[in-house]
Amino acid sequence: MAPEKIEALTSTRLKTDEMIINMGPQHPATHGVLRLLLTLDGEFVKHVEPVVGHLHRAQEWQGQNRTWFQYQALIDRVDYLSGMFTSWAMARAAEKVDGCQVPLRGEYMRVIVSEMNRITSHLLWLGTYGIDLGAMFGFPFYPFREREKLLDLLEAISGQRMMFNYIRIGGVQSEAPPGWFAKVSEFVKEFPDRVDEYEAILTNNPIFIKRTKGVGILKKQLALDYGVTGPSLRASGVPLDLRKTKPYSVYDRLKFEVPIHEGDGDTFDRYVLRVKEMRESNEILRQCLEQIPGGTADELRERRKACNSCGKADCSNCGGDLMIMAKKQNAGLRIKAGEGFDAIESPRGILGCYIISTGGDTAYRFKWRNPSFCNLAALPDLLIDHPIADIMAIFGSIDVILPDVDR
Amino acid sequence: MFGLVGRAVESLYYVCVGLWTVAKHTGRAPITKEFPDTMPDLPGAFRGRLALAVNPETSEHLCISCRQCERVCPDKCIDITAHKSPETGKLELIDFKIDHGLCMFCGLCTEVCPTTCIINTNDFEMSDYSREALIYDLKKLTLTQDESAHYFSKKYLPIPKPKPKPAPKPAAAAAKPADGVAAPAKPAPPAAKPAEGAAAAKSAPAATDKPAGDAAATKPTAEKKADDSKDSEKEKAAPEPSAAEGKAEPDKTEG
Amino acid sequence: MNPAVFEIGKFARLTVIWLSIIFGAVWAACWAVGVFAPALINASGMPTETASLASEVLRALVPVVAVAVFIPINAMFMVLCERRALALFTVRKGPNRVGPDGLLQTAADAVKLLFKEDITPHGADAVMFTAAPIIFFAPSIIGVLPLLAAASGNHELFRSVNLPTGIFYVLAIASIPVVGIVMGGWASNNKYSLVGALRSAAQAISYEIPLVLSIVAVCLMAGTLDVVKIADQQKDSLLSWNIFGGGALLPYVNLVVAGLQGNNEQVQAIMQHFQAQPLGPFAAVLMVVCCIIFFGIYITGACAEVNRIPFDLPEAESELVSGYNTEYSGIKFAIFFLAEFTNLFVVCSIASIMFLGGGHAPLPGLEQGFTEMLGGILKQLPGSKEIFSPGWLINSLVNPSTVSQAFWIILKTYSLVIFAILIRATLPRFRIDQLMAFGWKRLIPLSLILLIALTYLRELV
Ligand code: SF4
Ligand code: SF4
Repeated sequence: MAPEKIEALTSTRLKTDEMIINMGPQHPATHGVLRLLLTLDGEFVKHVEPVVGHLHRAQEWQGQNRTWFQYQALIDRVDYLSGMFTSWAMARAAEKVDGCQVPLRGEYMRVIVSEMNRITSHLLWLGTYGIDLGAMFGFPFYPFREREKLLDLLEAISGQRMMFNYIRIGGVQSEAPPGWFAKVSEFVKEFPDRVDEYEAILTNNPIFIKRTKGVGILKKQLALDYGVTGPSLRASGVPLDLRKTKPYSVYDRLKFEVPIHEGDGDTFDRYVLRVKEMRESNEILRQCLEQIPGGTADELRERRKACNSCGKADCSNCGGDLMIMAKKQNAGLRIKAGEGFDAIESPRGILGCYIISTGGDTAYRFKWRNPSFCNLAALPDLLIDHPIADIMAIFGSIDVILPDVDR
Repeated sequence: MFGLVGRAVESLYYVCVGLWTVAKHTGRAPITKEFPDTMPDLPGAFRGRLALAVNPETSEHLCISCRQCERVCPDKCIDITAHKSPETGKLELIDFKIDHGLCMFCGLCTEVCPTTCIINTNDFEMSDYSREALIYDLKKLTLTQDESAHYFSKKYLPIPKPKPKPAPKPAAAAAKPADGVAAPAKPAPPAAKPAEGAAAAKSAPAATDKPAGDAAATKPTAEKKADDSKDSEKEKAAPEPSAAEGKAEPDKTEG
Repeated sequence: MNPAVFEIGKFARLTVIWLSIIFGAVWAACWAVGVFAPALINASGMPTETASLASEVLRALVPVVAVAVFIPINAMFMVLCERRALALFTVRKGPNRVGPDGLLQTAADAVKLLFKEDITPHGADAVMFTAAPIIFFAPSIIGVLPLLAAASGNHELFRSVNLPTGIFYVLAIASIPVVGIVMGGWASNNKYSLVGALRSAAQAISYEIPLVLSIVAVCLMAGTLDVVKIADQQKDSLLSWNIFGGGALLPYVNLVVAGLQGNNEQVQAIMQHFQAQPLGPFAAVLMVVCCIIFFGIYITGACAEVNRIPFDLPEAESELVSGYNTEYSGIKFAIFFLAEFTNLFVVCSIASIMFLGGGHAPLPGLEQGFTEMLGGILKQLPGSKEIFSPGWLINSLVNPSTVSQAFWIILKTYSLVIFAILIRATLPRFRIDQLMAFGWKRLIPLSLILLIALTYLRELV
């Protein structure tokens, strides 16, 4: 039979209805509260309409109605998997407006904690990505185990596991407790082996490769058009990583690679890229631990005791090395009038914060540039003509976190 | 054909590698902690339930009613009731309420407190049957002397300097310190014994104190003028109460 | 001591306790119905006709009693075993709160499920919705029956359920549950359920073929469809198991053994036999390879048949919420759950009967030695003839050969179950089109080719 004839037959006699399925906001795998209105033809997606805003908490408005000091405690909630980065973005923007310089040790501490945070974020992504692909009962626990260790360390230094509130305008909040640096370097030593284990389970697994290779190809141009950033962009061949292209903080003193995948990236490339990025972060951590001025917290304490320059032998809060604006670190913190924008590289992409200050103790205007929101915009284009099963594989691979989308 | 077979063998090999990696984990010690049996070893910085500390050495209440914490709290969940004592002209704390149902444990209040009075404890089990039960009052918030000492050492906080001794009070006034503060807040007319706080509450020989301690524990009302026997202790050590001093009107806010 | 060893020990202890409870209970029930009650009736002085009729009826009931007792307890154990084993694989401890060391966790879960509200969704077809779990569950009860005979070493109480075409019957029954799934998915009035049900139908049809072909290969080698006979053919040792070519290698091993022992006559005899079949050794090795691959195909097909990862598409949590059982709750959900685990057990026991030698020990002599030892101990007991005496009780309760067979088949089956759990802990899930492609383009051609090859190789050996 001629192809046209078959075409005619199937399109007239075997006409099927399209089915509209509402995926989310209560769905076990939509990473939060995304709602996807799917139009399906059989199992294949014909049209997608993401509905966002279920978790809108008016974060920007809250920033304009709270003092700088108070708002710092809230912004960890914007992207709860990488709270350090949101704090850092805001602190950098405010410092830029205010024109102050963070002490070197403070910068190193920022890099250390946020690279740890980047690893936890990627680990969580890795585990949940396993769940998205159906490796539900064994694999996800392994990344979570390492994440747990990191969270314990972050908890020890900042007080909480996810809402750190540690990076502040002017520096970081406190000195590490005794023995903290030793534990971090212990972790740094054993982490590559753990990553090897994850890779042994997933990277070469034929089912995993089948599920991810060639699925959800994000064209370079499309990614640039939508403003996709972060690992998803780098997997599509654009070497944009603010840590390298526009080094902020102390990243120019550290030797690390930014993994890039040449050509249009698919789901598998994004996975590989994130795993590589974890190894790189680990490397950054190792270097930071070596380079940090003042040495570990214990050495610093000894030194302080010896010189006794700051008056109190083990004062944890004045931390001359950590925080420039110790005096301003109270409810009355004010930022000089002006406006400024600064962006950092969060685990999900470029996270920017725009501030207008009128010199008072609250901001006049806050604006966040959230990577997840821009990355999510590319999702509908990726999903078209993929079966239902791939929705989660693709959605998981661009690593969107919904509170970050909705703010 | 051979390519197919080769790929099949390769796939099988990698599946086996994965299976082996998982199976290997059987030989590792479990990482789970059996929570109610073994409590997690929380770091000192952990931001748990809020509490008001007493001086670990002298057991005097550290709060100076400066309202710094009340003002900084982003959730407005602290509610301090204080008034200016008519006798001494100093601020005295009547009640201190924290709504733990509203609190987000950001720890800002603990950072601004000038006397390290309000601290985050390591306690995180606060579940209760009603929202009202989550509003902790002064009595529930105040730590004992031992607990305070524990947290001060765990958080590496410097021990606050004891406040200047209050002038000796008439015995009648000392007999009823209805402050809501439990055992450690006992205002023994002689100088507070440094290291005996809790123990002293049980075996204090002073006859006048015994009933007073019980009354304080069971009836935490804060209304009598007899309060002043206690409050003069707390005021002298205020480093920067100037901002809060202005509004010493009793019962300024009500939650 | 290393805490990991400690955990493994706990797991082993739990398994042993549960298994003795399960099989103790099953055997006690069977014995009560099939041996004790008839003896009681005979002793009660009823008219002989009535008594013999009643005992006949009771004996016929034994397999049913066995299955009815076995399935719920076994499913409970398997859920617990799965959770504990997964915990072991993921460096956790698993459920360990209810009862001593978590022993009763699933019992508590089952009770909880039974008391949950039974919800029928709005717009659902209530009759179908209720019938679906039953149709899903019933086959697993009916399907185990012929296996009982093989598993108990053809014990006289279970002889009645041994069909001459036993394995055929089991396979036929095993394809019914999918009807229940489709019914449930359709009747739930939920799109996710419907998609899950349709997936399940497609998957069951595609994977039944390689599954059946691998079983056919075994039947071909055995020359019978009778499970008891198939099991009995594999009784010699590891090498006569069907997974190792059903004894294809046995003559060569015998040759080597004889050569080592310097038994020249035997060597001569065997060599003469080989001269007729010069291609014999190659054929035998190839046959073993074929059989091992068939075993792999069977395991793959069985995983798909019982909707285990990596083929759990009908209930793919991350895509379809929970697939066909999304809308089920309470006791109906419990039945689905029960049936799933029973099905897993059934396919594993089929595998151990068909491929792994049924109830026979891997090494020759092991089984015989054990049977003789136990028989010797039993003979020591006094008064073994007199009815209702302790000796009679023990002799009728303990049959050495059944005990040995039951032990081995339990060991093999649960090892396979744990292997399935290990797979579950490792592999991600296929996508539906890949699943279909894998089934139709890889497994079915492969099994057909192997089947043809096996037919010829059988002649050459
Ligand atoms: S921890 Fe934060 S929210 Fe809670 S009382 Fe203190 S300032 Fe308020
Ligand atoms: S002393 Fe501390 S706890 Fe008391 S009112 Fe001031 S800030 Fe709050």
